[in-house]
Amino acid sequence: MSPGPQPVLRRLLLVSLPLLLALLTASFLGLGFGVTGSGLRAIWEALLALDSANLVQQTIVWRIRLPRVLMAAEVGATLSLGGLVFQALLRNPLAEPYILGISGGSAVGAISGILLGLSRFPGVSATAFAGSMATLALVVVLSSGRQILKKDTLLLAGVMVNAFCSAMILFLISLTQDSRLHNIIFWLMGDLSLTDMGQVRLLALLLAPCFLLAFLLSHAMNLLLMGKETAMALGVNIKLVTMTLLVATSFMISATVAQCGLLGFVGLVMPHLLRLLLGPDHRILVPACILGGATYMVGCDLLARIVPRHGELPVGVITAMIGAPLFIFLLRRSGR
Amino acid sequence: MRSVVQLIIGTLAVLTAFQSSAAGTVIDQMGRSVVVPEDPRRVVALAPSITEIVYALGREDRLVGVTRFSDFPPAAKHLPRVGSYVHLDLERIVALAPDLCIAAKDGNPKAVIQRLEALQIPVYAVNPVDLAAIGETILEVGGLLNARLAAQSLVAEMNTRITAVKDRVAATTHRPRVFFQIGISPIVSVGSGTFIHELITMAGGTNVAAGALPYPRFSREETIALAPEIVIITSMDRNESFLKAQAEWQQWPEIPAARDRRIHLVDSDLFDRASPRLVDGLELLVGLLQPELAQAAP
Repeated sequence: MSPGPQPVLRRLLLVSLPLLLALLTASFLGLGFGVTGSGLRAIWEALLALDSANLVQQTIVWRIRLPRVLMAAEVGATLSLGGLVFQALLRNPLAEPYILGISGGSAVGAISGILLGLSRFPGVSATAFAGSMATLALVVVLSSGRQILKKDTLLLAGVMVNAFCSAMILFLISLTQDSRLHNIIFWLMGDLSLTDMGQVRLLALLLAPCFLLAFLLSHAMNLLLMGKETAMALGVNIKLVTMTLLVATSFMISATVAQCGLLGFVGLVMPHLLRLLLGPDHRILVPACILGGATYMVGCDLLARIVPRHGELPVGVITAMIGAPLFIFLLRRSGR
Repeated sequence: MRSVVQLIIGTLAVLTAFQSSAAGTVIDQMGRSVVVPEDPRRVVALAPSITEIVYALGREDRLVGVTRFSDFPPAAKHLPRVGSYVHLDLERIVALAPDLCIAAKDGNPKAVIQRLEALQIPVYAVNPVDLAAIGETILEVGGLLNARLAAQSLVAEMNTRITAVKDRVAATTHRPRVFFQIGISPIVSVGSGTFIHELITMAGGTNVAAGALPYPRFSREETIALAPEIVIITSMDRNESFLKAQAEWQQWPEIPAARDRRIHLVDSDLFDRASPRLVDGLELLVGLLQPELAQAAP
């Protein structure tokens, strides 16, 4: 028996179990609380398989809040994992799906879809997905062929594509003069309020293989971070690993952005926070980011629902409002 | 064998339908068939205009929820809110356990309507596009809420008032050029195919912003070139921004409306809600556009 994997496995469990517990707690709170008050009773009744007297309460908890909580978890996990992978690939702490223009492209696609009067699902989701894939292709082509491994070229191309997408978004918004404007704005701010189980299932189906792939390649990411030559010497096919991770990550990011709009800072904050806490081993960080990002987003969604007295805040506002100061704090701390 | 089973199932279905007599299928204004309760007791109005219609029909005892800006009649302010009509709050609606929701095609997000239906809450959607259609809508809502007589007399009264305005305006020879400003910065007006355009035309005016775009934007330059004789401004916050907008127009004496000081503020609720109060808006407009006629009238 080799001594290598044993400690990793143990650490994996040591890290994953508390995070899983945190996620379950956040989800429980997410199910239990909302604008119409507590659903704790409904949860107990369902868990104990009692016949409920209050069908309305049951509907609210299981058919309105549950899909939301699950969707928030999926989205948070994806964005956080996406940030982690991009930061490893580009060896740049600022790398995030947004920086690479992937979410910008998806936003242009989604807004075009809304303007064309398509339904939110599958219509707008499909155009958003097409938009993000188009920008990814553009970024890759711009940082062309062999040069793809030059991280700065890729990042710069991403920043420029993103700037162009922002201009396109503003252009499309200024063209819009009717009630579709509301749809666009709500989508841009990130909105989970209309999730149903079908979407949750579909997204889970799309995300699972990507998560698995990231986990399988986590050791390769460790080696990549040791430098190109070292990684090559240790037998990593850099080009293949980079391309695989880039495409898989972009795929899962665009799938979530298409579902719920732009949710900022999750991809930046969670990987950094967890890296500070847990160290740089991606075999630990990949599952930690999935669980931690999910917890963060479920928590933010809960706040978005219960903080305002009327209606609810777009969850993207909360993720950025908590995320940006947190990130600055982390930056100052690591700078010292 | 199979047909026997079908027969039994069919008979059972018919029997249950008769027994409960709780539901009937109607076709709403979007052409969807909706199973509505015979006598809805818990109604949620998904737009301020629908709240106004329900109150006008005297069926407010059935209302259990309204949207955020449902402020007329004032009593409606005390009803539970279910979000704004463009951003409905699904959880709050469901928590009210409604047996019928009445939605407006213009504004209510389709996705919410679909979710409500998936949760077995019937949604009847209305889509009035002009004054005549509002009459139809009132009659339909009256039918849903068992207020047919009230609906008929309300619509008859509205029609009498509309006809009176039309008769008065028919004699006019001059149809002043009207710029109806619904947005101050940027300047936004209303095109053809809106209630406001219809009201301006009915009240004896010419809408200078008429055109295919429902809510066209204008630059200051364009508004000067349009040379409106009357400017009517609706504003959400009443005083401050109106005074500003008015002063903004007054800077340009080249514009007839500014020269003649015919710049007026009106309550936007009378013009952008598909409710019986549009007739109030119409009568108000006649007074502003054709003051001589309005004075001559009894």
